[in-house]
Amino acid sequence: MNKPMTKTLIALALATIVAGCAGKASLDAAQQSGDTPPLPAPQNFLVPPMQVPDGVGWKDGQTPRVAAGLKIEKIADGLMHPRQLYVLPNGDVLVVESNSPGTEPVTTPKQFLAGMIKGGSGKGGKGGNRITLLRKAADSGSWEKHPFIDHLHSPFGVQLIGDSLYVANTDAIVKFPYQTGSTQVTAPGVEFADLPGTIDHHWTKALLANSDGTKLYVGVGSNSNITENGLDVEYRRAAVLEVDVATASSRIYASGIRNPTGLGWEPTTGKLWAIANERDEIGADLVPDYLTSVQDGGFYGWPYSYYGQNVDTRVTPQRPDLVAKAIKPDYALGSHVAALGLWFSAANALPDKYQGGAFVAEHGSWNRSPLSGYAVVHVAFQQGRPVGAPEPVVTGFHSDDEKDLYGAPVGLAQDKDGALLIADDVGNTVWRVTSDSH
Amino acid sequence: MSSSIEPRRSVVANSLYGLLNPIPFGLFVAALIFDVTYFRSGTMLWNKGAAWLITLGLLFALIPRVVNLTQVWITSRRFATSTDRLDFWLNLFAIVAAIFNAFVHTRDAFAVMPTGMWLSMCTVVLLAIGRVAVGVQSSGRTVVVHE
Repeated sequence: MNKPMTKTLIALALATIVAGCAGKASLDAAQQSGDTPPLPAPQNFLVPPMQVPDGVGWKDGQTPRVAAGLKIEKIADGLMHPRQLYVLPNGDVLVVESNSPGTEPVTTPKQFLAGMIKGGSGKGGKGGNRITLLRKAADSGSWEKHPFIDHLHSPFGVQLIGDSLYVANTDAIVKFPYQTGSTQVTAPGVEFADLPGTIDHHWTKALLANSDGTKLYVGVGSNSNITENGLDVEYRRAAVLEVDVATASSRIYASGIRNPTGLGWEPTTGKLWAIANERDEIGADLVPDYLTSVQDGGFYGWPYSYYGQNVDTRVTPQRPDLVAKAIKPDYALGSHVAALGLWFSAANALPDKYQGGAFVAEHGSWNRSPLSGYAVVHVAFQQGRPVGAPEPVVTGFHSDDEKDLYGAPVGLAQDKDGALLIADDVGNTVWRVTSDSH
Repeated sequence: MSSSIEPRRSVVANSLYGLLNPIPFGLFVAALIFDVTYFRSGTMLWNKGAAWLITLGLLFALIPRVVNLTQVWITSRRFATSTDRLDFWLNLFAIVAAIFNAFVHTRDAFAVMPTGMWLSMCTVVLLAIGRVAVGVQSSGRTVVVHE
């Protein structure tokens, strides 16, 4: 063989590698939303579609963009990776500052490299492991900041039942005493119920109490993308757990939901709904993240299938018996939008079209090019069912050229005045959206 | 690959080659065994082990492959036999297959299979043919068989 042949071979090898990297998305989130999203054929890649903008934070005076009829203001900054928001009955706002416990061991060369690539986006910033309380000053429009609870362990969900505040750390629900009006909890937390806390590939534990305060629902994400850490570490994972408040005993309420990052009660029917992050690495247009009602005892497919009976061949052994009973989620949000915040709002201070639906915060994913998500969207509901395409409410979290990331929305809540609050864990900010007619 | 009729080869290069060249072959053979075990059992340990073995095999192959390229095509060009050149090409294809295989092994769970196992097989078979050819060549000379 001679030199030209060597060159040809190298060129061929490079061309194949580049072809393996291709995989730009062809469907945007709106096209792939609703109850029957188009699902292209799954692909395997040499290098999966990837796009990770640089986390740069917000410049002074810079804000996300809001839809017509709305305005946005910053009510707190300088936080340590704010992830979740919870409004107490007196109007105080709790900001949960948290990130992954970092306990997932590096067990493959890929994890070693991926950790470095994803770190640049600012999404890997250190979490505060604490809760900060924001209180609106009576006279001015400014918000005071008080350290509320410290020394938590990757907390996410927070719920108040009576005078007990339940905080979902990554490995346990911890209970604190709360007195109305207090700006700090000094009493130590007492472990109330344990949660799956090994590896913590998906570490967030979403928390929601029922209306009479007898049950807590916990969203527990899977311990892998698609069982690559083995099936034995998935016990009580990819599930919504139901914890009895009186006895602290728990059971699996629904399963097969890969990463249920947000839970909420649909206001007209009183049914439990969840947002979920679906699996990666089978295409930029697969698999759409979703918003779904959660049935008691329901199985939603993960890991064996998605959107009902679409089998995932990466799982072994296959389980046709489980695939057969997999429930198709109610409403697709688009692929790799990374829905991380859910807020049902029966009534709020925003314009009419934002009443009675669900707000969803989309954090954006590494496994997608061009970028998708990085927005807060509104899904309209009629008779307790989602209708139409998700409508962007807050956008502009990344630069137009998709190179810089200013912020990324996570937790959502509604303050006492009916304004929408957004935790931004890349900009380390809390945003407040109101109608611009006020 | 070494013998007294090729006096211009550097002692350092030959030492490095002798030290490092056997390592990738062992790692790639182990990767093939791990791949077959994963293919048959579905136990993730073997798949992750194979991914490390292939990556390490490629890292250890770097220096001996550069030494071999230099000797076969530049410094000892006049002395290189057709067997030496065959061995070079077999190694090159084996490494290209292993590079693809390293990427295939970044896939999650059973998405690695069966492609990853066949690529491991390719790498091992190509390297094995090269080593047998060099071994046969050595048997025709009055030198102790070693590399």
